[in-house]
Amino acid sequence: MTERFPLSRRNFLATAGATALSGAIGAPALAQSANRPLKIGLVTSLSGPFTALGESMRAGMQMFLAENGGKLAGRAVELIVEDDQAKPDEGVRKFRKLLGQDNVDIVSGVISSAVALAVRDVVTEAKALTFISAGSANDLARKAASPFVFRPTKTNWMLGHTAGLWAYEKLGKTGCMTIGADYAAGREYIGDFVATYQQQGGKVGKQLWAPLGTTDFGPLLTTIAAEKPEFIYSFFAGSDAVRFLRQMREYRLSGKVKLIGGGALFDQEDVVSAVKEAALGGLNTCNQSPTAPSSATFTKAYQAARNVMPGEMGTAGYVTGQVIKAAVERVEGDLSNKEKVKEALLAKEVETVFGPMPFDPRNNQAILDIYVNEIKEGTGGIPVNQVIHTYKAVRDPGPVA
Amino acid sequence: MGFYAVQSLNALSFSMLLLLTGLGLSVVLNLMNFVNLTHGSFFLLGAYVGVYWLASGAPWWLAFPVAFVAAGLAGFLLERFPFRQFYARTHLMQVLLTYGLSVIFADLMRWGFGAQILSAEIPEALRGVVFIMDMPFPIYRLFIIGFGAALAFALWFVIDRTIWGAVVRACVTDRGFVETLGLDTRRIFTAVLVISAGLGGISGALGAGILSAYPGLDEEVLILALIVVVAGGLGTFRGTVLSALLLGFAMTFSKVWVPEFSNVVALAIMAALLVALPEGLVARKVRQV
Repeated sequence: MTERFPLSRRNFLATAGATALSGAIGAPALAQSANRPLKIGLVTSLSGPFTALGESMRAGMQMFLAENGGKLAGRAVELIVEDDQAKPDEGVRKFRKLLGQDNVDIVSGVISSAVALAVRDVVTEAKALTFISAGSANDLARKAASPFVFRPTKTNWMLGHTAGLWAYEKLGKTGCMTIGADYAAGREYIGDFVATYQQQGGKVGKQLWAPLGTTDFGPLLTTIAAEKPEFIYSFFAGSDAVRFLRQMREYRLSGKVKLIGGGALFDQEDVVSAVKEAALGGLNTCNQSPTAPSSATFTKAYQAARNVMPGEMGTAGYVTGQVIKAAVERVEGDLSNKEKVKEALLAKEVETVFGPMPFDPRNNQAILDIYVNEIKEGTGGIPVNQVIHTYKAVRDPGPVA
Repeated sequence: MGFYAVQSLNALSFSMLLLLTGLGLSVVLNLMNFVNLTHGSFFLLGAYVGVYWLASGAPWWLAFPVAFVAAGLAGFLLERFPFRQFYARTHLMQVLLTYGLSVIFADLMRWGFGAQILSAEIPEALRGVVFIMDMPFPIYRLFIIGFGAALAFALWFVIDRTIWGAVVRACVTDRGFVETLGLDTRRIFTAVLVISAGLGGISGALGAGILSAYPGLDEEVLILALIVVVAGGLGTFRGTVLSALLLGFAMTFSKVWVPEFSNVVALAIMAALLVALPEGLVARKVRQV
């Protein structure tokens, strides 16, 4: 309370002064900035391989703003959406445009980790208030951490690591195989899983990789059938995940070999709704779950609006909105002092649909509850990610690691 | 033993998938010397038609003829308006036109079918597996192998062994001469383009069972098809079949032995092939307009 008093007094004086002066010489800077619409830039992938994900993210963000009547902390919000085509250079261009041309107050979005890493320097140089909604490369919480870049989502390590713990405890100490998409994110997920699993004392067998955009998993699945593993840790996303799961079933491996993966492998909206019963029995660790208690109202609203259960990206768009709202409200709509915004966000956790979300002061990385989801039949026979365990407040090792 | 038997079947089914994607493209390129980059769009259209048809509960086997008709119709309309004017132009102009159209189609299909990934419900009859020495192999893939082989054989037969095929080939070599015989070459070209588009559509419907349907599949398929056709040699039909088999086996076995490098291996083989045989596997003199 003692700390808050001078703040609110200053605010009071400023507002009072503004009201008194506005008639005579026009609104002073502070009042102007509070009346001007709040411009939020959202860069996401509306074409290219992540099209469906980008659409969901945008829908989540728009839904959040609509629920708030298009206003945050009393300021009207103007949302400018840009498409990065999941390409780093295109992302950089779009961020420059938003910051240089549109003069947005806040930039957010990004699905691809590669884009997130590429725009890091752009937003850091511009000292722009940035919220990375989904790009989850570990480095952004480590050596590429940046003072005004907040990340209200997980790092790849958080999911790979928790899956390693769960697999060792519940699935088996041996007989593990891995198969993953052969690009940066896939390497991080599989690498972090294997590191944790081995640290616990587990033994990893054959490790398979498939190039991004693999059409035919047949040869790899035949290799798996020949190896007869107890369980598989896997990371694929989007259409790769859909094809992998469908073909697992085609080759009669679903149900025979236990499958655990990163959240994207069994994303509720993007993957499970497409592969349906081929997903049943699958396990994943994820910072999102449509059945998490924190998600209850959101899941219903999203389902009503879009006719599918929300997956990670729809939720990420919504959560980004929630975090931006918390930041803007905590400084009463005045974003001119970024240090103050940062302090306000670090001061206490934000209640989000992902769960309670405090930010790590070392790197502005969200500390998150990670859910272990199992795909079970829900109401109406639709396979649904059901929470079977929660790892509380998982924190990335951060810059020291 | 069983392992390698199944891997060979995997390779064969992937080869057939490649062949199916390349077949339609190869037909217009070989017979009409027309570069049609909208071929991926026909494939994706067929895939969407297949997905919706299989989910609708109507007789499943009709999905494939329906996809053929839908894509064939699209091909017919396209032939009527822009394509016809471009037959006599250079390849570069054809590429510009058809690539532009493919981008428009991608947007239209996204608007019509949405951005979600849709997987095809494989019919009950084809959902099983056969066990070869204890190793499972899906029946659907056997179906694709059979269908692809039958389609390739039928095409070869029509083009190489029938009077219709002879007429079409004659059209390409000397259009004026065929006209003097009283044949309407316009109609013949229309028919070839419709068949090519239809082949794209039917391949899409068949492939949807393995690949699913989503925005972006058109481009992925187009690239595979181009690789197959170019490596096979422009202007030959046999070459397309050969290169589909070669690439299918190369990509499959590189996935078995060196999964990290499977794309590299496949593309390296194509590059080596084109360096050694610039005209492709089976070369034929092509008239460059």
